[in-house]
Amino acid sequence: MLSSFAKRLYGIAIVALALASLPLWAPRYWVLIVMLFSLNLALAQMWNLLAGYSGLISLGQQAFVGLGGYTLAVFSMYYGFPIWLSILIGGMLSVLFALLISAPIFRMRGVYFAIGTWTVAETLRILFSNWKYVGYGMGLFVKPAYTLSFNTIFYAGLFVGVASVALIYFILRSKLGLGLMAMRDDETSSETLGVDIFRTKLICFVLAAGVTGVASGVLYLQNIFIQPFSAFGIDWTVRLVFITIIGGIGTIEGPIVGSFIYVVLQQWLSEYPSVSLLILGVIAIVVILLAPKGIMGTIQERLGFEILSPRRK
Amino acid sequence: MLAMLAGLKNPIMNGLLLGGLYGIVGIGMSMIFGIVRVVNLAHGDLVILAAYLSFVTLSIFKVSPLLSLVLVIPAMFLIGFIIQYYLVNRVLGKDMNPPLLVAFGLSIILQNLLLLIFTPDARALVTNLSIATLRIGNFVNIPVVYLVDFIVSLATIFLLSRFFTKTYLGKAIRAASDDEGAAELMGINAKRIYAWAMAIAGGTAAIAGVLVGMTFTFYPHTGPDYLIIAFGVVIIGGLGSLLGTFLGGLILGLAQILGAHFLGPGFQLISGYVILLVVLAFKPTGLFSKG
Amino acid sequence: MANSILRVEQIDVHYGDFHALWDVSLVVEEAQVVSIIGANGAGKSTLLNTIAGVKKPSHGTVQFKGNRINGIPPYQAVVEGISMVPEGRRVFPRLTVLENLEIGSYTTKARKRKKEALKKIYELFPVLEERKDQLSITLSGGEQQMLAIGRALMSWPQLILLDEISLGLAPVVIKQIYQKIKQINAEGITALLVEQDIKRSLKAAHKVYIMQSGRISLEGRPESLSQEEIRKAYFGLSDLNVKSEAERDV
Repeated sequence: MLSSFAKRLYGIAIVALALASLPLWAPRYWVLIVMLFSLNLALAQMWNLLAGYSGLISLGQQAFVGLGGYTLAVFSMYYGFPIWLSILIGGMLSVLFALLISAPIFRMRGVYFAIGTWTVAETLRILFSNWKYVGYGMGLFVKPAYTLSFNTIFYAGLFVGVASVALIYFILRSKLGLGLMAMRDDETSSETLGVDIFRTKLICFVLAAGVTGVASGVLYLQNIFIQPFSAFGIDWTVRLVFITIIGGIGTIEGPIVGSFIYVVLQQWLSEYPSVSLLILGVIAIVVILLAPKGIMGTIQERLGFEILSPRRK
Repeated sequence: MLAMLAGLKNPIMNGLLLGGLYGIVGIGMSMIFGIVRVVNLAHGDLVILAAYLSFVTLSIFKVSPLLSLVLVIPAMFLIGFIIQYYLVNRVLGKDMNPPLLVAFGLSIILQNLLLLIFTPDARALVTNLSIATLRIGNFVNIPVVYLVDFIVSLATIFLLSRFFTKTYLGKAIRAASDDEGAAELMGINAKRIYAWAMAIAGGTAAIAGVLVGMTFTFYPHTGPDYLIIAFGVVIIGGLGSLLGTFLGGLILGLAQILGAHFLGPGFQLISGYVILLVVLAFKPTGLFSKG
Repeated sequence: MANSILRVEQIDVHYGDFHALWDVSLVVEEAQVVSIIGANGAGKSTLLNTIAGVKKPSHGTVQFKGNRINGIPPYQAVVEGISMVPEGRRVFPRLTVLENLEIGSYTTKARKRKKEALKKIYELFPVLEERKDQLSITLSGGEQQMLAIGRALMSWPQLILLDEISLGLAPVVIKQIYQKIKQINAEGITALLVEQDIKRSLKAAHKVYIMQSGRISLEGRPESLSQEEIRKAYFGLSDLNVKSEAERDV
């Protein structure tokens, strides 16, 4: 007999294998969907790390989406850097930027933090649209991305998505994760237990920035075209909030389920993007009112069932 | 030196007048933040919704935008009441995030609803006032519509302050914001009071929306721009004081216009944001609050 | 029991998992002063809060003038005629003294008699009239307590609940406030007060209830209770508890 843990591992392996072999047997459209799903998952998982586990409601994740995308464009196009290196640099610059703004931003608490992060992203949006170097508001073409095959971009997207889930899983099982759990239960008493709250939150903020920057690099390989008003737009964070809330904030599985719902709805109503956002908004409000833990949070509570338990046995 | 100062007369005047408009944009948000302790992320969209409601009214009745307020204010009042009573009140509690997220969802719903109904085209509430300018002395040119904005905002803020000090409802709102539990012991249904407060905030959004529509063009997605302006006004002005909010508006307006004057038009918004960030980081309770 | 205005019957109250009140019963006769005494955490304030509608009992009933009122929200209890002076006074700091009093007459019925009420309260506490335009946060502790009492009286209550009104006040002021309570009671208003100060309560009340760890450990007219009984009920001695419970069971 297999232990339940081993069973679960096998299950995960089978799913991973099925996804990885997708380009070999599935229609191209499916592959595209899975890629979009993976990229959204990576971004949402990072928002979940902030809002669901660290108590930081950031409304400024689009700052790192834009930085990741623009870094890819500038380094690969202007300086001829290899694409993957440019994407990594995008992640690093996002980390640097997160560190840079952390000093003022972490002086803000709660809703002020939300307002502050958003304002930072808006500032970048305006700066980039007034910056000749990046083509003002017209934006840039990520031309080198044409050299990549569709499947390559798919694997990059899949990798980022899977890696984000794995990262959260290991963070939550690490000492950092224990600190996060203690903080979530009670911030004041966890401080007396020796959890350095500022440091714990900062690490999460910076990690989330880095992964968001990298994931956005891959995203703009697929988008090809980057403009300040969309790259630094609040729409990114809107998406992440909806995905995480609907799926279940503060659970690893939540963003997975949420991203799936998001991508399906978006594709289904692809000709009416405003209708799909409208529906998502309504679903999100209904979820907050009736099942504040989201789909997965509610299921876990009712059935005591977790696929990826962050708790150490 | 003197010439430079003379050259600044226009931007300073325009900045202050624009600041009056910002004050009225921010006042509803400030009220809800101060009274219900909720950051209404849909406030900017309510302002734009009001502009569209006025737009519809004008296309039916062919009246001046200011006159459309007769219909737009009650409509926004009702919408505000419903939003608070049936949505936000249900998630009020120790955790400030659920109401924040409900408002966020509402913001997206409003934007996309407006997009579906009105298409992404730019709209404006055009009047004769929109293009007229007023010349004072030799140097100062003021767009008349800015002056109207300023006067209407000032009048609104004056009326609001009378409302809060002279009426039972106004005093009850202040009492509930001081101590919800004690207010309930006095016979005040705090949840209903919050709905009234949001209704009034909706009424101020109606006025702000009509003024914004008379002054600038607007789109279904313009809401967040005004939300950030409202943030700026609330953060700079601090909570709980109508006058502080108005002053916050003036500072923000002045910062924007002077930023544009010295650094170029592209920097109008940025100078506002930078001031907002600095205040957020160093005195998040606002410049005009004690402590 | 002819004219009991308030009748609490066998209520249990919980705060989450914490069982705060166990099978508490209490009767208050009209126009009397009744005190509840007990140590910190004995459940006195919880009992008052339950009567005022702030807490809901998980079991048992609260009857006011013969009507069952448990489960109604506090703002409804005021309409019924129950007014509470909460622990820690809780005046509205950013409202003036006069505005605080006006909020006390928020209910429709009370609004019509606001002027009359104000006059009475100013007679009772002249200092409030002197300071009517000051922000209430600028008042001294004793004045704030007077304001809190005045504010509660503005709704023309039949029953006034007073929670720890002597807390943190100088003895002279406490004495003064208790004199006012007597005056208020003389007008026919029933008072139920919670106190930690045993002597003060015994002196003021027609009847006392002593509480200990969420239960009533002793009740009676002050003059009929011996010092020893009171001390035991207050501080808790197991044999006495057993005895009093056994007595009630009979």
